[in-house]
Amino acid sequence: MLLETRHLHIGYGDAPAVWDATLDVDAGEIVSVIGPNGAGKTTLINAIAGLLRCRQGDLRFDGVDMTNLKAHEFCGHGIALVPEGRRLFAKMSVEENLELGCYLQAARAARSDSLERVYALFPVLRQKRLQPAGELSGGQQQMVAIGRALMARPRIVLFDEPSLGLAPAIVDDMFDIIVRVRDDGAAVLLVEQNVLKALGIADRAYVLEQGRIVAQGVPNELLDQPHIREAYLGV
Amino acid sequence: MPSATLLGQALISGVLAGGMYGLLAMGLSLSWGLLRLVNLSHFALAFLSAYIVYELGTKYGVAPWWSAAMVVPVMFGVGAAQYWLFDRFHVNELASLLITFSFAVIVEAGIQIYWTADYRRFETHYSTLSFKVGPFFVPVLELVLCVVASVLAWGTWMWLRKTYVGKGLRAAAEDADIAAAYGVDHRKLAYLLSGIGAAYAGIAGTFIALIATLAPAQIWAWLGVVFAVVIIGRLGNPLGALLAGMLIGASESLAMAVLSPAWAPVVSFSVLIVILLWDPEWL
Ligand SMILES: Nc1ncnc2c1ncn2[C@@H]1O[C@H](COP(=O)(O)OP(=O)(O)OP(=O)(O)O)[C@@H](O)[C@H]1O
Ligand SMILES: [Mg+2]
Repeated sequence: MLLETRHLHIGYGDAPAVWDATLDVDAGEIVSVIGPNGAGKTTLINAIAGLLRCRQGDLRFDGVDMTNLKAHEFCGHGIALVPEGRRLFAKMSVEENLELGCYLQAARAARSDSLERVYALFPVLRQKRLQPAGELSGGQQQMVAIGRALMARPRIVLFDEPSLGLAPAIVDDMFDIIVRVRDDGAAVLLVEQNVLKALGIADRAYVLEQGRIVAQGVPNELLDQPHIREAYLGV
Repeated sequence: MPSATLLGQALISGVLAGGMYGLLAMGLSLSWGLLRLVNLSHFALAFLSAYIVYELGTKYGVAPWWSAAMVVPVMFGVGAAQYWLFDRFHVNELASLLITFSFAVIVEAGIQIYWTADYRRFETHYSTLSFKVGPFFVPVLELVLCVVASVLAWGTWMWLRKTYVGKGLRAAAEDADIAAAYGVDHRKLAYLLSGIGAAYAGIAGTFIALIATLAPAQIWAWLGVVFAVVIIGRLGNPLGALLAGMLIGASESLAMAVLSPAWAPVVSFSVLIVILLWDPEWL
């Protein structure tokens, strides 16, 4: 198993936000986590990226115990985050944002090759490479956020609501890109509120509600559960 | 209206004097812009360095460049140690202002105890050297200062733009968590940057020792104008700091020549206010 979390408890100050989260992602998989606003999806994914400390539980990546690592040590193991709201370095140029993705030595060595790949995937970014990232449109910013993650040569990419705030016309493109990332060899953990699309591309999925994982399985099974149909599809 | 020669001379003197503003502003601008720490003690470190250069030079006959070779690394250590303190106690922007102000007051008192409040002057045979270009006098030391400041400003600017360390610092200044998620160990870089800022105070101090008359209270003499320079040059931008320093130096000097010396501070702060009103995002 590539990513394994066991009974993770994560919180802010005294307030717990995620209880007892146990999930797996294997190499080559797309795993989706769906859930309503405030369920704790971002909290969970940020903890897996190393931005939040887990209070309890085990976080393993490729067999390595990540629980006590510092935030800046996660990326080197092959974990890259496409954060909620993109969080680009707005004053830095598009290319500098991408280069930040290959900050670490191993990824840095493959810089030009990775840049070519990202520009091949998102040709528009090549034209805008010298512009401050903050001046791009929402869709283009999302491309930079994904490109930045790919520059790290990750073994898993964590996507936190990549379709949020995008024009409907490009939402489908975004999901195609996610599939493409997986096909190029990285595993994907995807957090989404766009339930149908997220389940549509997933190999497996988890349902997170009020900080707890309440259901899991392959997408078709989940879609057959009345509770999930009601809560997420309104039928 | 003063003659063209006088104005030209005022312009040259002003730009050269502005090099000192720029050099002092650089260290302040780096730590404010990239670490969000406002280091008022920067001026105190510069004057402490100046006094040490003065002491070594007058008592032991050490040439200022040798003194600088010793003082600058020591100041780097002081800067790094200051960052340790800020980090250890999770100091924020406002608190850093108060703490470094206190630190500056302590250094000022230390200087006053050791060197007394008397005016001190480090006389060297080159301190008043100048050469003539057409009708204008160019003071040699100030020119050297400007060259050094320009090299430092340019080098630092390139370092921030072209190296991964520099990009990591700029990224962490915008979003430290995400920078960390891509492997930037912000704390390690912050030690380095804080040390570099203080080392620049050491370099500025060496020139202060040679150019200025030293007195403990002089620590505060440049505070206002250098703050204006830091902001006009844009936080975290060493090249901006230097250019703003020269701009303010030139404007002050011209204002003094055309109007009267009392107008000098009015100029720099008017420029500051205009810029802040025109573009409040400037900070
Ligand atoms: N920085 C924070 N400090 C304190 N509480 C927080 C913080 N961030 C989130 N929370 C709380 O933790 C809980 C989970 O939030 P989280 O952002 O993980 O949910 P989410 O599922 O990602 O929601 P959304 O769909 O809106 O992105 C919420 O109750 C939220 O109020
Ligand atoms: Mg969220």
